Amino acid sequence: MTFARLQQGGPLRQVMVIAGLILFTCWSAGPVLWLILSSVLEQKALIAQPPDLSPRNFTLENFSTVIGAAASLGRGIVNSLIVAVFSTALALALGAPAAYALARLPVPRANNISFLILATQMLPGIAIAIPLFIVISRLGLIDNVLSLGVVYLSFNLPIVIWILRGFFLGIPAGIEKAAAIDGAGIFATFWHIILPISLPPLSAAAVFAFVEAWNEFFFALILTRQQAQTTPLVIANFAGQYQTVFGQMMAAAVISVAPVILLAILFRNQIIRGFADGMMKG
Amino acid sequence: MFFVAPALIVLAAILFYPIVDSVLLALQRVQLAGGAVTQEWIGLGNFTRLFSDPVFWRAALNTAYFSVMEVILVTLISLGVALLLNHPFGRSGFFRILLIIPWAIAPVANAVLWKWILNANYGVLNALLKSLGVIDYNQVWLGTPFSALNFLLIVDVWKSVPFVALLMLAGLQRVPQSLYRAAYMDGAGPWQSFLNVTLPTMRGVIAIAIVLQTIWSLRVFDLVFVLTRGGPADATALLNFLAYRVTFNFLDLGYGSAIANVIFALTFVLAALYVWLLWPREIKGAR
Repeated sequence: MTFARLQQGGPLRQVMVIAGLILFTCWSAGPVLWLILSSVLEQKALIAQPPDLSPRNFTLENFSTVIGAAASLGRGIVNSLIVAVFSTALALALGAPAAYALARLPVPRANNISFLILATQMLPGIAIAIPLFIVISRLGLIDNVLSLGVVYLSFNLPIVIWILRGFFLGIPAGIEKAAAIDGAGIFATFWHIILPISLPPLSAAAVFAFVEAWNEFFFALILTRQQAQTTPLVIANFAGQYQTVFGQMMAAAVISVAPVILLAILFRNQIIRGFADGMMKG
Repeated sequence: MFFVAPALIVLAAILFYPIVDSVLLALQRVQLAGGAVTQEWIGLGNFTRLFSDPVFWRAALNTAYFSVMEVILVTLISLGVALLLNHPFGRSGFFRILLIIPWAIAPVANAVLWKWILNANYGVLNALLKSLGVIDYNQVWLGTPFSALNFLLIVDVWKSVPFVALLMLAGLQRVPQSLYRAAYMDGAGPWQSFLNVTLPTMRGVIAIAIVLQTIWSLRVFDLVFVLTRGGPADATALLNFLAYRVTFNFLDLGYGSAIANVIFALTFVLAALYVWLLWPREIKGAR
């Protein structure tokens, strides 16, 4: 047996690997497929046991009903978009320079600061939710998309800093020396040299922050009432109120998850590299 | 310094101030009535109440069971999935997409989906198991305490595996090929090289995955909120959900903060462990 053959394994192991991959595919894709199928099936076909999957039962009615009937869903999507974009932009604007400084500039105790920032990312929302709720209530900023966006910095800023710091640490020192010889200051080096070569990790960090903000539920539940409700809240309310119109419930869920799933698929390589590496490197 | 300062100031405002205040709140009786907050110092009153509160102990027990089981299941399944995807047959981009989709699905949408799958009258799980002959009539999966907690667990494992599998896959890809080659030269079979090469080099990654997953399992909330609201009979009331319920449904902010402090303390210890695992060491292993 050659080494390459060894890595593939004998026939028995190959069969086991194929069986495992099929099992994994069913386990991962099954629920997602059922989500999509449910959203395009008529109620009658859906509640038949077993569900009636014949082609004549397929319809887009669930989507048109949900979009037509629930104004709250439209508002939720707009709110989610504002919160996610606002929070992501702020996290990048504050996080990129901080990550650069922590990785490359002589900041005192840079390592300690970095790890402290990383540790804050682990905090459960409930640890800060109650005081934040009191403060934001007193300021009269409950039910405000922008205050929600700022609160989202509590988890987005640390993660952006950590992903970017990992990348900045790997940049060869020669680049900055060359820039310094050309007379570029720290700020010019960062803006004209470092940022342009950091587009892949920046996009990974941005997608990551966007997805986290888009999906967040806990703070949105506490800090919004009506006007600023984000999509996850609308979906949760939906599931509580319209317990029986399953197709429409799933259609609403599909609408809410489609944008981030598309983003995640498009940027999967950057996300996988940026995050998986970031979480394991010191 | 002025590159770092803005980020640190923002983090201090939205993180460090609330953490300190949360500890202070736990030492007070804080009530919310008619939009006004009333506060009164009661020392450790909230904590003594905590220790004699059967609901708190129930939630602590639920959380312990949930977290331990989740960490074991997620770690084993993720390692298996990572090994599959690291095999020449599993390297297709298709499987990477399969991994990234459950990660990107909003926890709430995921919970709503599973609420439908597990529906007692029309759910597809009942239909599937009936047609396979496993069960004779429909089961109310979320109706009994034991079953509800375990289904919550299964759904959360489903959602958590992809990410940890990605971590482990990245770790597997970093095991130097030369080690496998050396093991092969020494006559090691696949099982031996898994035990003697893969596992030892993956030790750090697995430790990190375990710590991270423990932290994440302590803050499961959306799933409980949508699927069970803590019921039946508090069987699925995890600590995080209990803190929410006490604070925002019973409006007992001080007592809620005390529970939140318990979660914070647990997470803090775990986060410290995580940082310790990651901390750059002078000598990095034997290699």
